[in-house]
Amino acid sequence: MRALLFVIAAGVAVAADQATIDRGQKEEARSCIPCHSLRIIHSQRLPRATWSRELDKMAGWGSKVQDREALLEYLVANFGDDKAPAKPETSADGSTSGTAGAKK
Amino acid sequence: MMQRTLFASRRELLAAFLAAAVRAAWAADEGVVIPGKRPMILHNDRPEDLETPLGYFNTWLTPIDSFFVRQHLPRPEPIDPAAYRLTVNGMVGRQLQLSLDDLKKLPQFTVPATIECTGNGRGFYTPKVPGIQWGRGAIGNAEWRGPAVSAVLKLAGAAPGAAFLESDGADTGVASTPDFIRAIPMKKAMHPATILALTMNGQPIPDIHGGPVRLIVPGWDGTSFVKWVVRLSATAEQNKGFFMNPGYRFPKYNLPPGTPAKPAELEVIEGMPVKSSITAPEDSAKFAMGTIAIRGFAWAGENAIERVEVSTDGGSQWRGAQLSNPKLPFAWRLFHLDWKPENPGYYTILSRATDSAGRVQPIVAAWNPSGYLWNAIDRVGVTVGS
Repeated sequence: MRALLFVIAAGVAVAADQATIDRGQKEEARSCIPCHSLRIIHSQRLPRATWSRELDKMAGWGSKVQDREALLEYLVANFGDDKAPAKPETSADGSTSGTAGAKK
Repeated sequence: MMQRTLFASRRELLAAFLAAAVRAAWAADEGVVIPGKRPMILHNDRPEDLETPLGYFNTWLTPIDSFFVRQHLPRPEPIDPAAYRLTVNGMVGRQLQLSLDDLKKLPQFTVPATIECTGNGRGFYTPKVPGIQWGRGAIGNAEWRGPAVSAVLKLAGAAPGAAFLESDGADTGVASTPDFIRAIPMKKAMHPATILALTMNGQPIPDIHGGPVRLIVPGWDGTSFVKWVVRLSATAEQNKGFFMNPGYRFPKYNLPPGTPAKPAELEVIEGMPVKSSITAPEDSAKFAMGTIAIRGFAWAGENAIERVEVSTDGGSQWRGAQLSNPKLPFAWRLFHLDWKPENPGYYTILSRATDSAGRVQPIVAAWNPSGYLWNAIDRVGVTVGS
């Protein structure tokens, strides 16, 4: 019985975390995308304290984060230093689509 | 009243800009094409942070279509060469506004120089540090051509007390990010190889690489090579902006990995360390028995590369690799060694460079909180089948 209660409690805790993480993802879309694309975030794997410092740095540079806690939980849950390394991405061939540096 | 109308329209403009930015971000996920570039390792697309895949590194001059890109801030609108003006001010006898034609009329110098992002190799550091997780490819070697900075300063008459030269590009911050401004000591600014490049590998410098005018500070970290230069200022004191302090500084004394730096003990990064990187074979490659070409590049900042040694047994025995010529300061040399393994199995291949000042690549790169200057002996593992 005690074990069952523990499992239920753990399940509730995970569910609550997932809701927070989902809010964090929305916060990322709202407050990060205006200045840069998300690849530079998603390609990193950092400990919680480092992600927290990054949020402070971005706040200093003008990001308007409303739900900091959720954003931090989202970053740690998806891009923590315990997660598998990001898969490298490659751009498509643009060598025939104009001179280097033409504005997109 | 007029002001309120203006404010409303500005706000609308900002909202429209944000909406467009969001749309652009979603569209990017469907496959990013960087005009003028072959497929590149994509660390970021807005702004562009592109790493050169190792397979492209087989020429002494890196072609523009595969040259790495690191932007701190969004690119400025492309500069009309006819409208371009370089402001030279600060501690000078007379302020100048120079056109591109003015710069072309000065004596032109060709400088082959390697440019390497200060954070190249950051992805190899443990514990992980924030920033673009570059592997080996945030580096390239190009022939830059243009007038010496010293000639421009002579025209302006720099004052004897001017100790630094500050350079500002046409890019500006987003939100409240700081403007990208860098400064170098006047001694380096006056070095004959420090130029304002107008061409890269014989072509006008493309916008994505900082054209029409890019500052070339040979042997120093890539961050010093300011793009879209529109202002040079002679100053008595070092610039105090973010990109000079605390940005792009290195601990004076090595730190235990994972610990913060002491701000007072951070120093501006200047000349780059000695380094070699293996471009072939790639890590985890598999081969049949036969001859395997081990290739790579080596450079040493303001020094020249003296030798590169390669080991195929984890560092027990080393052999000298063939080096490309010329042997120059500022520019890399390619190395090459044909290796014929006698037995099948797994092999750890290492490369180790030594420069003209006797500096040798270390076994362990000094961990630092920003992940700069990775230069450990390079290492890949390959499996040779029977």
